[in-house]
Amino acid sequence: MTIPTGSGGSTGSGGSTASGASVAGPVDLAEFRAEVQRWCRENVPSDWRRAQTGASAEEFAAFQQDWFQQLRAAGYAVPHWPAEWGGGMPVAQQVVLYQELAAHDAPRLVLGFVSIHHAASTLLVAGTDEQRRRHLPAILDGEIWVQGFSEPEAGSDLASLRTVARRDGDTFVVDGQKLWASGAAHADWCLLLARTDPDAPKRKGISYFLMDMRSPGVDVRPVRNAIGDSHFCEIFLNGVVIPAENLVGPVNAGWQVAQATLAAERGMTMLELAERLGNAGFRWLVDTCRTPGPGGGRPVDDPRVADRLAELETEITGLRALCRGLVERHEADTAGPADASVVKLFYSELLQRTMDFAVEVAGLPAHAELRKPASSGWESGAWVLDFIGSWEWTIPGGTSEIQRTIIGERGLGLPREPAASA
Amino acid sequence: MSDVAMSESELAELHRELRVVARDLLRRNAAKAGPDQTYPTVDWSLLVDTGWLGLEIPEEFDGAGATFAEVAVVLHELGRAAASTPYLGTAVLGVGALGLLEAGAARDELLRAVAAGEQRPALALPTGDSDGDVTAFRLAAAPVSEGDQPGAGRMVVSGSADFVPDAAGADRILLLAADESGTPVVVAVRPTDPGVTVSDRPVLDETRHLGTVVVEGTEVDPGAVWRFRGTDPAASAASARRLLDRAALAVACDSLGLAEAMLEATVEYAGTRRQFGRPIGSFQAVKHACADMHVKITVGRELLAAAVRALAAAEDPAGPHDQEISVAVSRAKSYLGAAAVDIAGAAMQLHGGIGYTWEGGVHVYLKRALLGRSLFGAPAAHRARLAARFTAL
Repeated sequence: MTIPTGSGGSTGSGGSTASGASVAGPVDLAEFRAEVQRWCRENVPSDWRRAQTGASAEEFAAFQQDWFQQLRAAGYAVPHWPAEWGGGMPVAQQVVLYQELAAHDAPRLVLGFVSIHHAASTLLVAGTDEQRRRHLPAILDGEIWVQGFSEPEAGSDLASLRTVARRDGDTFVVDGQKLWASGAAHADWCLLLARTDPDAPKRKGISYFLMDMRSPGVDVRPVRNAIGDSHFCEIFLNGVVIPAENLVGPVNAGWQVAQATLAAERGMTMLELAERLGNAGFRWLVDTCRTPGPGGGRPVDDPRVADRLAELETEITGLRALCRGLVERHEADTAGPADASVVKLFYSELLQRTMDFAVEVAGLPAHAELRKPASSGWESGAWVLDFIGSWEWTIPGGTSEIQRTIIGERGLGLPREPAASA
Repeated sequence: MSDVAMSESELAELHRELRVVARDLLRRNAAKAGPDQTYPTVDWSLLVDTGWLGLEIPEEFDGAGATFAEVAVVLHELGRAAASTPYLGTAVLGVGALGLLEAGAARDELLRAVAAGEQRPALALPTGDSDGDVTAFRLAAAPVSEGDQPGAGRMVVSGSADFVPDAAGADRILLLAADESGTPVVVAVRPTDPGVTVSDRPVLDETRHLGTVVVEGTEVDPGAVWRFRGTDPAASAASARRLLDRAALAVACDSLGLAEAMLEATVEYAGTRRQFGRPIGSFQAVKHACADMHVKITVGRELLAAAVRALAAAEDPAGPHDQEISVAVSRAKSYLGAAAVDIAGAAMQLHGGIGYTWEGGVHVYLKRALLGRSLFGAPAAHRARLAARFTAL
């Protein structure tokens, strides 16, 4: 009987050692796992959480850049990129890599997330050779990207965006406003969607640009979010000039480019988040449940708490298996049109349920945790902040309601909503 | 058919074929007995002819030499069809128990007879939430009376088990019993043996046939006491535990199948039924409910696959530990037991008035889902087993 190698080492509640069931594939995964474990033991800073709690924006950015270069030196920063650009790691090995980084509670690449995932996939899927040569090596050297898609009047209905790019010779001149641009304050470049044909149907008049954030007319203002952080930003664009060579794909094909590049990034990023939730996140939850309360009793000895804990562990196990399955189906090109939506919806709502439970169990002391460490995953153990922060998963990137509609229509083939008058 | 040399993709292909064939055969051969019967009954001959009864029986006893992974495919399809059949009691539990026993003339003969469809065993084991005690029967030395041959070694077995799948109509009842030292053994009795009473236990789910087995001081000779492989009492206890895991997982396979069938029926109905001038499936309230059903099924499928893989590899020396198998089974059973009820309930709701009629048939699935949720451990009982790992220390 052959045991699928993808399940090795992840059957326990956060255990990272390969179970007896794991069998090496063509690449010796057990050996690779040992290599990553060794690297993590030697390189993950033991006190990074303390250092990143209350860190300034500059300290956060510097720490992120250092950690990224450390990963890069090991060949772990962009394993999903093609070999010619510095990646080329087989998918089965990437799974092991993210499992082990999570098991060793390594800092998360937050600052460079858009750069190495969405910006890179945009360039690889739809960019020109020149754009790739200019930006991919720069991203490896620390160039930071931000996504400029949403607007005040274009949230779930993104295609109704109003930022305008007018052709002017060899350039486009952009006017408008972007919102919810995560990390814009640190960004060097922006993935920008702007309307180039106001008369076309809304999805057929949008173009996709690479915009230099240092261009005159770009004004970034932080928006404080519900947990008090300011990594979301508004970007005001007043007469910003973008050279025509920074267009990605044909004029007015921006919507299709965005669909293709967004589809290209899902899978491994969700697997990483699921592994983090299943490793350090769940370990802290168990610790919280086993910490005696004011009366001296442990929450976990309450059968209702134990029951909920077992239920969440079961769901997290399902999530991790789901993510491995999605990655494998992407690799085999057999992923269904709504598979990524299923994972996003289930992850974000499970994260929210888990954090809610943690807040309830932890009681009043959780409310005295006033800061959460930067550079961590979505769950940090500062449960109240983690719980409130979980709406950052159920709202952006397509709200849970939008995901359900996608699952119903594209996944199950249910009839579409009748179109509203345009 | 042997899995040993099969690659993962070959195995997946084999399962796909088995699934397609099973679905097709069940659609064509499982007839509804009368106008008032809203579920199909599977002919015994179909189970015999397809070889499904003997899937897990070794080839040397005329079986297919397959594993639980293939049995799981059949169980899943039987759940989709909400089919009435003694497959669970016979091929899953009966054969499953025999497969864990030491070889012996009587056991081997019974295996051959089951593969040929000539004998129907049932397995009497605890069907509820009891986690501590895996045996429902006690075996003791028979009191010596005058005229006995010294050393004849006759034994007496007693006990009872309720809600035993497919007990009524079985030719042989395999009792999961504790011997005098507390070691689990299997005692084979016939329903006609003195002291043995097997009676029907009607339940609301008409697709399942459960029975009550009461054994009062039935004398058996040593040839009817079958021991689990391995001389170690701990190994026997692990085998008995494995049988309960197998039973729970079998029901979880069924739950996934029936949940899938309910989602498909609901999506089809919501795509054709029109109200307010449009298909009801175009309303978000309906569409989003279907999406939630789909997510639950997708997650449950992953948990089930992991548990089936673990149980099917149990005999592999490099396979998972007993604890890993039990954990995987409890996750799958607790999740799918609850999910199937939620999904069948949502199907009834989204079908509207027709969903609540007898003829509409959704009630068949809801009742089967409800029984499955309780059978071989309710979700809370399985979660308590999972949580014990966190409360320890």
